[in-house]
Amino acid sequence: MASTKVVNIPKGGFSFENCQRNNFMAKQGFPAPKAVKTGTTIAGFIFKDGVILGADTRATEGNIVADKNCFKLHYMAPNIYCAGAGTAADLEMTTLQMSSQLELHRLNTGRQVKVATATRLLKQMLFRYQGHIGAALVLGGIDSSGPHVCCIYPHGSTDSLPFVAMGSGSLAAMAFLESGWKPDMELAEAKVLMRNAICGGIFNDLMSGSHVDLCIITREKAEMIRPFEVANVKGERQGSYRYPLGCTATLSTRVIPIEIESTVVRPVAEESMDTA
Amino acid sequence: MFGQAILNDNLPGAKQHHWSPYTDNGGTIVAVAGDDFAIIASDTRLIQGYSILSREQTKLFKLSEQTVLGVSGCWCDVLTFTRTLEARMKMYLHEHLKPMSTPAVAQLVSTMLYHKRFFPYYVSNIVAGLDQDGKGTLYSYDPVGHCEKNRYRAGGAAGAMLQPLLDNQVGLKNMKGGVLPDITKEKALMVIKDSFISAAERDTSTGDGVIINIITKSGVEVMHFPLRKD
Amino acid sequence: MACMMSNMSTLDALSPDWLTSEHSTGTSIMAVEFDGGVVIGADSRTSTGAYVANRVTDKLTKITNHIYCCRSGSAADTQAIADIVNYHLEFHEVQLGEAPLVKTAASVFQELCYNYRDQLTAGIICAGWDRRHGGQVFNIPLGGMCVRQPFAIGGSGSTYVFGFVDSNFKQGMNQDECVQFVLKTLALAMSRDGSSGGVVRLGIITEDGIERRTVLGNELPRFYEG
Repeated sequence: MASTKVVNIPKGGFSFENCQRNNFMAKQGFPAPKAVKTGTTIAGFIFKDGVILGADTRATEGNIVADKNCFKLHYMAPNIYCAGAGTAADLEMTTLQMSSQLELHRLNTGRQVKVATATRLLKQMLFRYQGHIGAALVLGGIDSSGPHVCCIYPHGSTDSLPFVAMGSGSLAAMAFLESGWKPDMELAEAKVLMRNAICGGIFNDLMSGSHVDLCIITREKAEMIRPFEVANVKGERQGSYRYPLGCTATLSTRVIPIEIESTVVRPVAEESMDTA
Repeated sequence: MFGQAILNDNLPGAKQHHWSPYTDNGGTIVAVAGDDFAIIASDTRLIQGYSILSREQTKLFKLSEQTVLGVSGCWCDVLTFTRTLEARMKMYLHEHLKPMSTPAVAQLVSTMLYHKRFFPYYVSNIVAGLDQDGKGTLYSYDPVGHCEKNRYRAGGAAGAMLQPLLDNQVGLKNMKGGVLPDITKEKALMVIKDSFISAAERDTSTGDGVIINIITKSGVEVMHFPLRKD
Repeated sequence: MACMMSNMSTLDALSPDWLTSEHSTGTSIMAVEFDGGVVIGADSRTSTGAYVANRVTDKLTKITNHIYCCRSGSAADTQAIADIVNYHLEFHEVQLGEAPLVKTAASVFQELCYNYRDQLTAGIICAGWDRRHGGQVFNIPLGGMCVRQPFAIGGSGSTYVFGFVDSNFKQGMNQDECVQFVLKTLALAMSRDGSSGGVVRLGIITEDGIERRTVLGNELPRFYEG
């Protein structure tokens, strides 16, 4: 009989049902597994025609590289993008959720979304979760009031500045921005500065690495350049690691013959090739 | 009981400060011994926390014409340990009027490590060299002096990642075909280079470059090759 | 306030201090009443551990046209509180049909700071001008108390300058004297407190609204430097 059970649609929001059990297990010496972090270098700044965001592409789990070429630049709205550092899952979910809310807001108001709206939405959500959502963001975009770059911390505080850097490589990146940034930079200059800033993180911060991704937002369009620069080439191995045939040991063999019950031969008509 | 309640750091906002005499400075060592040679290699990156302290720091210490020690772990312990070891070897030389053999060094390393059993050197040691008969030989240690004689060994930060690779490629474990003859120098070099290339791909504390010491009866030959620098 | 709360659940214990610490405005803030208005001032440093996350912060936050607050403590907490008070007062202004009193704003601040005192790290000075009582300064320190004072100082830098303000404050100073008083006090606080620094941001709130001034780091009054 077919099941007549009604499918339970889960409620929205987070489920905390395992918190007590997990705390107990942690006390017994079974700590929760580590989440994938993007101990990252991300940066953003304003230039003459708009906003430029940059990120490296390494994701880590402790000292191990979990992803050598991950996305850290997220779509928020057609005129707003966001670079993320922190817990990978939190960043992915937070940016997805926010981009959908911003799209609904755009449809409701019939206007282009403002960067301030995105900032406010994010900071209020992150503040509600008191820093437990480990998302540190650099939000960049252009709207009716001009270009904006804003960084949002996991606890929900925000800073709106002409140039910002975040993540574990932010000190290295900020060194380049503090010495190289000036108002009204040309696009070519801006790209070089951003490349230098992100490379500073890639080469000097262990948790940042691989390539440089860029996102350039101008009045006309938003352009994602991935990768903008392959800062590190994968090492080339010298040996061949293909195993010769038959190197897997056979412990036992059993042959089950397929019994043929009947044989039918059906001729297939030759099809003419379609030359139309 | 009361003390434990105070030390409970689950309280919101509580922060426990403590200082440790140890720090992990990373570093990976790989060594392979053949019939008439031993090869030992280390990466050249020295780290602390999320920062790189040096991109060209070898972790190999030439102890004699036929013995090389590879050490990684807490760099200050590495320095102290190797200096003391070198002094002890010099005393041996003056007392016995001959350099220490590789097996003798191996025993000394073990003794020196166990001497600090309750405040250990935070190091991962591998001794590579030729024994009295000119055969390639290798000894690996835990921080408190347990010593094991091996044919191939990976130690340090990416040791756990590389040992299975060596088991398969050098030890030919889990492969049909049984015991194989001693590994050739060329094959050993290739596996060592490739294992460092692989470690640099996935371990953040390994990179920048590799220094290889090839120990034969004619002495120690040094080679160097670069790794990715991110 | 230099008070940091580490966020243990989400961030790695191995990572350096500035990664795990909450973003905090280790601050020097100040406000003084004068006849016809108030002078408010703040430094511009936001720090996370030893790292200066923002060197040009604006800690003088607008609540209404004539009421501002000076924020100290956790950046996230104080920004959220200021946003909420701003929301309430804008609504109140519409219902009332006239500009709210400074006391009303201070009360809303105090209520939030008191009710959530266990979860917040916020020391706020609420200051402004209203038609009924002129320039007023209300101090709302950590526990959620609210008290009107002729002048108020706050933040981690304030501990260094209590003696200075007590010996230099005079009743009935005019606007310019108040500006100089605030500037000197903040410069002294910033020179002694490691988590205060940058520029001095000033605001003069009178019937005409606010006049904002910025005094750059190299233009600050200088005192004994050893």
